[in-house]
Amino acid sequence: MSALVQYLISGIATGCAFALVATGFVTIHRVTGVVNFAQGGFAILAGYVTFSALRAGLPHGVSELLAVLLATATGGLVGVISIGRRGTPLLASLIITIGLGFLFYAVEVAIWGDQPLQFEGVPGVFGLAGLTLQRQYVLIVAGAGVSFAALLLFFNRTYLGKIFTACASNAYAARLAGINVTRVGIAAFALGGLLGGLAGVLLLPLRSLTFDSDVDLAVNGFAAAIFGGLQRPGAALVGGLVIGVAEALVAGYSHASYQKGVSLVLIVGILVWQASRRPQAD
Amino acid sequence: MTTVLRSRFLRPSSVLIAGVALASLLLPPLLDSGKQTVFVLFTLYVVVTVGLSLLMGLAGQISLGQAAFYALGAYTAGLLAKHGLPQLLALAAAPVGSAVVAALIGVPVLRLRGHYLAFATLAFQLIVLTILAEARGITGGDIGLGGIPPLLPVLNQGQDSELDLNSPLVYCYVGWVVAALVIVLTRNLVRSRPGRGLRALATSEIGAAASGVAVGADKLKVFTISAAYAGLAGGVYAFFLEYLSPGSFPILLSIQFIVMATLGGLGEVWGAVLGAAVIVLLVQILQAAASQPGLPRQAPAILSYAAYGGVMVLVMLFLPAGLLPAIRQRLSRPSS
Repeated sequence: MSALVQYLISGIATGCAFALVATGFVTIHRVTGVVNFAQGGFAILAGYVTFSALRAGLPHGVSELLAVLLATATGGLVGVISIGRRGTPLLASLIITIGLGFLFYAVEVAIWGDQPLQFEGVPGVFGLAGLTLQRQYVLIVAGAGVSFAALLLFFNRTYLGKIFTACASNAYAARLAGINVTRVGIAAFALGGLLGGLAGVLLLPLRSLTFDSDVDLAVNGFAAAIFGGLQRPGAALVGGLVIGVAEALVAGYSHASYQKGVSLVLIVGILVWQASRRPQAD
Repeated sequence: MTTVLRSRFLRPSSVLIAGVALASLLLPPLLDSGKQTVFVLFTLYVVVTVGLSLLMGLAGQISLGQAAFYALGAYTAGLLAKHGLPQLLALAAAPVGSAVVAALIGVPVLRLRGHYLAFATLAFQLIVLTILAEARGITGGDIGLGGIPPLLPVLNQGQDSELDLNSPLVYCYVGWVVAALVIVLTRNLVRSRPGRGLRALATSEIGAAASGVAVGADKLKVFTISAAYAGLAGGVYAFFLEYLSPGSFPILLSIQFIVMATLGGLGEVWGAVLGAAVIVLLVQILQAAASQPGLPRQAPAILSYAAYGGVMVLVMLFLPAGLLPAIRQRLSRPSS
């Protein structure tokens, strides 16, 4: 029983991080229509920057903030390159994000090498009703909770957030209303970078840091994102939690190597389900 | 009569194609055996890239799992041949196996509009790699599948004049023939009525549907054909190396096929050939450059990631139609 609760809690924490990556996908896709293949790279980049900042003696908090800011700027840069040129078709933008993901690899291997690295999150464990839990789990859940509350406020209560929603629902009408859709798209990429970076600094202390583990994060995040058809952040949160918990249960009760299969099978399963539900979905 | 001959057979493109064919036939004996291996892989990459270019250029869809179909074809041929099926039948089964799997995953995924296929195929490749590594009883797992019989017979076995036909040089020509078959087949396909319908599909799905193109069915056909090509190339690969392991089919290989297809020009048969040739040469140059003394151990990895990423970004931004259309445009413009 206590094992089950332990798995559930670690699953929820990981799921929250997946949900952050997933929301990055959703934010970018809603506004620009681009599936951003560099999304996992933002998280890994933030992880590496945190590692170096901590190594350089900066305190916790400052290091993470620095990493998230850099991920945000990188997100904006990816946006400028992939959609900044007028008339770049969607397929081209998508291929550009794949290419930029590989340029991330080149930079990361050049700076940090190709061996796994490890950085400390919040150290220590705490007891709760007879269970010992890592403090980092609490931090992830709290961080994700605050982020989602802030996103909700941003999309519903701020002028900029409403511009995002306007571009997402009808880019042509938004342009007629005087909105620079390309610039909003680039801002969406920056927001995607911020969310990816947050996921990275929160989750990666629990895992080892390698340049190509972005594939794992991106696949899990994408699986969560398509719960809502790449359109709804709320559904992405649910999707992230489902995948995180399912993976933790599979890893706990069967073979750990089957854990990765969960999101992969889920992706295929969800796509089949969506196709049967909406024969020609938009 | 002469004018007919001239117009039909001496068009610049025909001459060029004949030249490319002749040059590529004469090249292999001049290479050392290491470079012959590169040439064999080049012909296989051409086969895969022609299919992927068709999928991206005609159906407007992107597959990040083309190496998975390559792997499926390789393992299909390897396992069947190892368990006693005649080699040529096993080779013929390779494209069929990949095509069947592609049709199965394509039916649901291609019904969704947008770029779901990209992630679905990425997930598919990760699943295939996991299965190949875990099903140790069948595939040999991470250790790999060895003991695949050679494709071609050994002549006069046991005598002084013994001649093993399974040399890299012979495989250069096996690969050449397979690539030539695929190129001819694809050219005819593109020019046929379904091919024209597909080209309409790439321009505007709604427009094509309104003009009577069965959008979903045609997309599925292209996806299946591209998988079959990859499977065929994989089958030859299995017999050429006589050994397979999941590590030979990384995601990077799928990306490499995308780079080749986009660089040459999407939907262009000869573009795929050109793209594959340029990238194979580029990789050779980079490997030579990265193995210079004094460079760090990671230099080859850094250079190849930077090259793949850089080529994808730069081509999409500045040569979105690809190399071949750009060259053709330059040539057809009257020089001033």
